[in-house]
Amino acid sequence: MKRRVNIGALSWIVLGALICFLARRIRLGTFGEPGPGFIAFGAGLFLSGVGIIMLLTTAFSAADTEERAPWGRLFPAGSRVRLVYTIALLFVYTIFLDRIGYVVGTFFLMWGLFLNWERPRWVASMLASLVTVGVTYIVFEVWLHCQFPRGILPL
Amino acid sequence: MSLFHDLFYGFGIAVQPWNLLACFLGVFIGTLVGVLPGIGPVGAMSLLLPITFGISPVTGIIMLAGIYYGSMYGGSTTSILVNIPGEAASVVTCLDGHQMALKGRAGPALGIAAFGSFIAGTLGLIGLMFLANILARVAVIFGPAEYFALMCLGLSLVTYLTQGSVLKGLSMAGLGLFLSLIGQDVITGKARFAFGLMGLVDGVGLVPLVMGLFGISEVLLNLEQLYEKREVMKTRLRELFPNKEDWKRSAMPIGRGTLIGFFLGILPGGGAVISSFVSYATEKKVSKHPDEFGRGAIEGVAGPESANNAASSSGFIPLFSLGIPANVIMALLLGALMIHGLRPGPLLITENPEVFWGTVASMYMGNVMLLILNLPLIGLWVQILKVPYRILFPLILLFCFIGAYSISANVFDLYVMLVFGILGYTLRKFSYEPAPLVLAFILGPMLEQNLRQALILSEGSMAVFLTKPLAAAPLLVSLVLLLSTILPSLRKKRQKVITE
Repeated sequence: MKRRVNIGALSWIVLGALICFLARRIRLGTFGEPGPGFIAFGAGLFLSGVGIIMLLTTAFSAADTEERAPWGRLFPAGSRVRLVYTIALLFVYTIFLDRIGYVVGTFFLMWGLFLNWERPRWVASMLASLVTVGVTYIVFEVWLHCQFPRGILPL
Repeated sequence: MSLFHDLFYGFGIAVQPWNLLACFLGVFIGTLVGVLPGIGPVGAMSLLLPITFGISPVTGIIMLAGIYYGSMYGGSTTSILVNIPGEAASVVTCLDGHQMALKGRAGPALGIAAFGSFIAGTLGLIGLMFLANILARVAVIFGPAEYFALMCLGLSLVTYLTQGSVLKGLSMAGLGLFLSLIGQDVITGKARFAFGLMGLVDGVGLVPLVMGLFGISEVLLNLEQLYEKREVMKTRLRELFPNKEDWKRSAMPIGRGTLIGFFLGILPGGGAVISSFVSYATEKKVSKHPDEFGRGAIEGVAGPESANNAASSSGFIPLFSLGIPANVIMALLLGALMIHGLRPGPLLITENPEVFWGTVASMYMGNVMLLILNLPLIGLWVQILKVPYRILFPLILLFCFIGAYSISANVFDLYVMLVFGILGYTLRKFSYEPAPLVLAFILGPMLEQNLRQALILSEGSMAVFLTKPLAAAPLLVSLVLLLSTILPSLRKKRQKVITE
């Protein structure tokens, strides 16, 4: 655990210092007339301070107070592929949403997400995604007037 | 007399068809998200927040509030029948509720959870009516220094009471504060920390941030148990009513749970989760048969379920009277009020009585609706529980996307949501709680404005925070709390309390 807390603490110190640097660039002002960077500078100092305390408490503690969780248990190998696949699908959907539109984009997204990896049923997941797109389109676009991107279809 | 007159005025607003529908939808969705593990009240509220933009503020707040207290009711169902808490405040109900179910007493467990929730929720509302009014009158004398100090206390308490390391909670609060400062400065109008991105000039959106941290990250965490099957206990309607002995054993726990929940709910950082744990610990301590706890003691269900509902009512007190949210859900409601152009604080009750009294009255009706929804319709919730998570999670993700996109029809918000989703997932893996971040994010602009105003008014003298007792006291308490995290002996004591 010690190594992880140290990395975490160092990250907070660096982030805090970076915020202080950025805050200084946009004017700190004075106590009598605080500028737009005043609170941000304080937040940066606070973050760095917390990071330093984290670092010191780890350095001076006789024993680890938290049990060390191995990397493999934190991010189980079995779910890693599914996780990366899901995140990638979501990013691809976001990138192409404006270009291909809500109906087509969401259909492919849902198809990919509904797909059961243990027993792939292509048609069933395709039908499920069709129904989902249809229902959400009617509810949100037609009834609630959300403005979804049209993309390649006139819908 | 005036109080009853105001309450009748509130009922006049709450019974309007749209408000009644909003109340029903809110408690229905609340029960649904409470029942379903994988999406909590925060996620559901942030999902529906954009929908409320098109309706009147009071209708929107009635619906969002309904989701919150509705989820408290629904959360017990999964805890008792599946041993999976639907939301955090029902974690402790698993201990005895599921044991009762295993012994064939799922019905009385569900019944006492619903009745206890109803009694506590209703009593909590009476307290809310009285106390919010009184506090609002007192709070009129508060200036920027007092508000700044109270917000600091709120943030300190939230991080102090957060599970796990306080230092991690503090770092999350610091990060949330910085994120809240991105965008235009309210005083000079200057864009800050936008890094040349047009989407950041108006700041980071509340809804994409909350949906990412709570909705997307929750789904990513649950992907690890995607193909796990849930065993749902069978129950019949006629078995739902607790018998005389059950009532005898539950009466005092319901009373104590109501009191504990009500007072802990008011405290910043308190709320439904902590009050349910405190109530359980209290019941175990005062019980003549503490050995029965964890093996199906009905007191272990009645107390915590009453406490979390009382807390969900009293949590509205600091929000409506001071404009300071006691927990992350109230912070989201605060955000909703502000989006609707309302200014939560001591003047809200007098300037917008329809919002306060309409919401309070709707909560009375919502509690009755929930009793009906949670007892005769238990079969429906059990059926929903059987829907596999591999079907639910794509729908949750899609609703998150629709919710985030529909605010301003801008793809940039989707990127923000995804980034915070991944950040939330990673941080939660390393035991960082997102609640202090969200609370600091929402309080940030108000905290900045009040601090800067206080400093300008005092011509830069920091003594303004020490010479005013109402500012000095909360700051002193905050300082003590923060220092206690550094001192090893106090840190161990706190850890013991949290563990208990």
